[in-house]
Amino acid sequence: MQFEVVAKCHTTRARVSKMRLAHGTTMLPTFMPVATQAAIKGLTPQQVEALGINLILNNTYHLNLRPGIQVLKEAGGAHKFQGWSHNLLTDSGGFQLVSLSKFTKITEEGALFASPFDGKPTMLTPEESISIQHAIGADIIMQLDDVVSSLTVGPRVEEAMWRTIRWLDRCIEFHQKSGRDDVQNLFAIVQGGLNPDLRDKCLDEMIARRDRVAGYAIGGLSGGEEKDVFWRVIKQCADKLPEDRPRYSMGIGFAEDLLVCVALGVDMADCVFPTRTARFGVALTPTGPLNLRLSKHAIDFRPIEEGCPCPTCANGVSRAILHHNATLETATAHAITQHNLVFQARIMGGARDAIINGTFPDYLKSFFAKYFGDAGYPAWCVNALRSVGVDLLEDRPDVKVISGDGAKWEYSDTA
Amino acid sequence: MAAASTPSPLFVPTTPPAKFGPRTGTLTLARPEDGIFLSSDTPALLAATSRGIVPHLSRDHLHLAQAIQHVQLPFESFIDRNPPVPTLVDGSHPLHTFLGYSPDKHVITMTLRDPSDGRKMPPNGNDFVAAHCTRGVRKVTASTWSAYVQKCKPDIVVALSDTPFTPPPHSQKRLTKSIERTIAWLSSILKIPASSTMPDNSTSPRPRHVLLHLAGGTNLQARAEFADRLTDPVDYRDAAELEPLNTLDQGVAGYVFDLLPLRAALAAEAGNPLEEGDLAHGLLRASDRHRSSPESSSRLAELLQSSLEVLPEEKPRVLNSPVSPHEVLRLVRDVGVDIVDSFWAQRAADIGIALDFCFPVPEDDAHDSTTCAPPRKRKDGKSDLGHNLFDSAYVHDHSRLASAFLDGQSAASLGASAAHAVCECGACSPRTPASRILYSAVDTQAWRDRSCATTPSTLQPPSTRAYVHHLLHTHEMSAHALLAMHNISVFSAFLAGIRDAVARGTEHFAREVERFEKVYDEGMVLWSEAEVMWIEVERARGKGRLAREKEKQKESTVGTAVDL
Repeated sequence: MQFEVVAKCHTTRARVSKMRLAHGTTMLPTFMPVATQAAIKGLTPQQVEALGINLILNNTYHLNLRPGIQVLKEAGGAHKFQGWSHNLLTDSGGFQLVSLSKFTKITEEGALFASPFDGKPTMLTPEESISIQHAIGADIIMQLDDVVSSLTVGPRVEEAMWRTIRWLDRCIEFHQKSGRDDVQNLFAIVQGGLNPDLRDKCLDEMIARRDRVAGYAIGGLSGGEEKDVFWRVIKQCADKLPEDRPRYSMGIGFAEDLLVCVALGVDMADCVFPTRTARFGVALTPTGPLNLRLSKHAIDFRPIEEGCPCPTCANGVSRAILHHNATLETATAHAITQHNLVFQARIMGGARDAIINGTFPDYLKSFFAKYFGDAGYPAWCVNALRSVGVDLLEDRPDVKVISGDGAKWEYSDTA
Repeated sequence: MAAASTPSPLFVPTTPPAKFGPRTGTLTLARPEDGIFLSSDTPALLAATSRGIVPHLSRDHLHLAQAIQHVQLPFESFIDRNPPVPTLVDGSHPLHTFLGYSPDKHVITMTLRDPSDGRKMPPNGNDFVAAHCTRGVRKVTASTWSAYVQKCKPDIVVALSDTPFTPPPHSQKRLTKSIERTIAWLSSILKIPASSTMPDNSTSPRPRHVLLHLAGGTNLQARAEFADRLTDPVDYRDAAELEPLNTLDQGVAGYVFDLLPLRAALAAEAGNPLEEGDLAHGLLRASDRHRSSPESSSRLAELLQSSLEVLPEEKPRVLNSPVSPHEVLRLVRDVGVDIVDSFWAQRAADIGIALDFCFPVPEDDAHDSTTCAPPRKRKDGKSDLGHNLFDSAYVHDHSRLASAFLDGQSAASLGASAAHAVCECGACSPRTPASRILYSAVDTQAWRDRSCATTPSTLQPPSTRAYVHHLLHTHEMSAHALLAMHNISVFSAFLAGIRDAVARGTEHFAREVERFEKVYDEGMVLWSEAEVMWIEVERARGKGRLAREKEKQKESTVGTAVDL
């Protein structure tokens, strides 16, 4: 990997960088769409490329189950299998073991779980995880980590943090011996729950291994913790992580979360949210999400967003026809998915331009004014951005500030 | 303008056609006001739509699909709102605009009912057809239909017809009623009211191209009588409003045959009614269980012929809901059809089948089985018409979808030596996009790399059977997008093969049909197998993808859990 910071925000910790991997160069900060089963929902690889996206994510747990490593090897890796010639990242599979299997037991050796095929006890070790990711062949691979829910408290959090460090060493060892470390790049995952001391210890240990890892992910978040705690952990990690390594915040996808994370110094994020919400008829826009299933859209012939370059809006697909077919026709899910991925990419692309042009604080202010103007700004965003020198409320004394998570939704006709 | 009073004919046969028998020709949709003339060779493909769109194809895929020029638009999904939303769209091509079809590429045929929907329906009335929408059954009268057509300005419209969807068999009396009503409704759509000035002072012209279902059910006499009624001089009471038409048939641009209700009625008469009971779980459609045979085709041919006997042969004939290529071939041979609905091929994509057949059958089995396995042969030696990609036989099959067609990339590398036709679909011949969206000034750096192929419109490797197999079992929608593009393309190549063979003479064509019948399995065992596996996967994943995900979305933190 060649990683180069090309511009920095004069106020916040945001930066623009260039990450060169075996399958091309990706400009950061960026949002990575999730192709869990080796396909971005409903789209072909060419359609994804046309959206200007060149880094996507596959899930190791799922690909290991189906199609299985043997098939991927025959095909010459996951890139070839899915017809994707650009950059690819895989997770370690650890998160799904915990979130999808009730019977997973973590031991020092690895994660012991019931095979979804035959129920037999199966062990996923750090070495095994890396070996699977080698077969998949992603440009960025993740260490196996000991994941605990971000709501967990007590000694289990510390235990998981230390084990994650030990497993990192085993992953590094295995990866370097494999000879794959020149084409595949291993990222470490910082754990430590919501406890600043544990996070700090974990950061120290992992930074000590900086010469043997290509980048860092911030894990153990996005599990229902309070947003005001969430951003503090992100900030603590991003502040301390080395300047010359990309920083990846896992499971982040709401527009406001993305921009706050970027301002705190995060370079990459992934989430199923934009593609999943599309399948339920929700389109993302700069003025907030639009639930196209609401009957108010039935005779609205405007596109989702005037001037949006996505294939859906550029083709003049109206809210009315999307309303007619939302959740009933797969092609409508495809149309909204294309739009939502472009929305995410525009948020991040706009951030890149603003950082380079020295206007990132203004970019943040105008995004929040448009996106939350009438509903009120989430307090946690105000706090988070103040911590990096941007006061969203400056010149806007009348704006409401609301506590809680502040996600903006219109879910039903009765709302 | 001369064009307005004597519109150019929709269909011109290549040579003066016989009453019955294979024929080729050209369909030309002229919109002289825009200077647009869209031509296609016949027999031509008519793509089926669901709720206004070609299933599984996003608009960019629709526009890439070279095979899609004619689309059939059942209007009934829109009648859950009054007025229907498409009638509120402005401009000269409201349906194209609203549904994303391109006026300079696509020809839209608007019809009320979905010709592939064989569900039981409440009876029609003397002045209405019972149609289906998400809010249940709605009545559409002839005058309402004319009003919708007036607003939507389709290129081609199908007049309302009284086809009973109550359980067959239907009585003589019912058929008589059906004829009376269909004639009355045709007359209604062709009439220009004496007070033809609309509130805004524009005239309401007669729709340019009106197609008509030929009524009479499975009764030969009734069908002949219906045709006679069309060619009778118009009733003097209607003459003024029908001016300058001397017969109703003069106002008809072409004839439509819906095979689905005919097949259901024939089965009922033969004492094997097609049961709807086992379709109750809602995944299957009535037509999924329909099969063709030489006998059923000859019975259908007889019915179609009895209608066409007295009607002019130079008008185009539309064949809706055929259930096999065999059936299409025989009806082309024995009757002569010009426009063929591709629902059968599109439906195959829903249940995981990649079509792999061609017409005429290649001489000396030109399948290069070394790199790409041909479809499986059944015990009787006949080949499947495609591959059931749900089958675990495809787990390790990394070849292109169809053995009968090369993928674009292989064809390009073989150059002139390629023995096969090429499947130009988005699955077999994908290309790098013509452009990519750039989001910031530095984004050009991302696509400048030599390490990735980013030259616009460069052929890419085809989707493989193993990949589509994987997508089907993981319930990924991309599987159906790839299969829909592919199957429409294969069906289009099939029709192109028919055109070529017909051009080489009626006898040559008949010989090729016979060869085709000997080589390919008409019983479509493959379909029955695919259906079972498809339903298994649907059920294993709960009650349909969206219902399942909806539940999941409710119970999980939005967007943070992993996508299954």
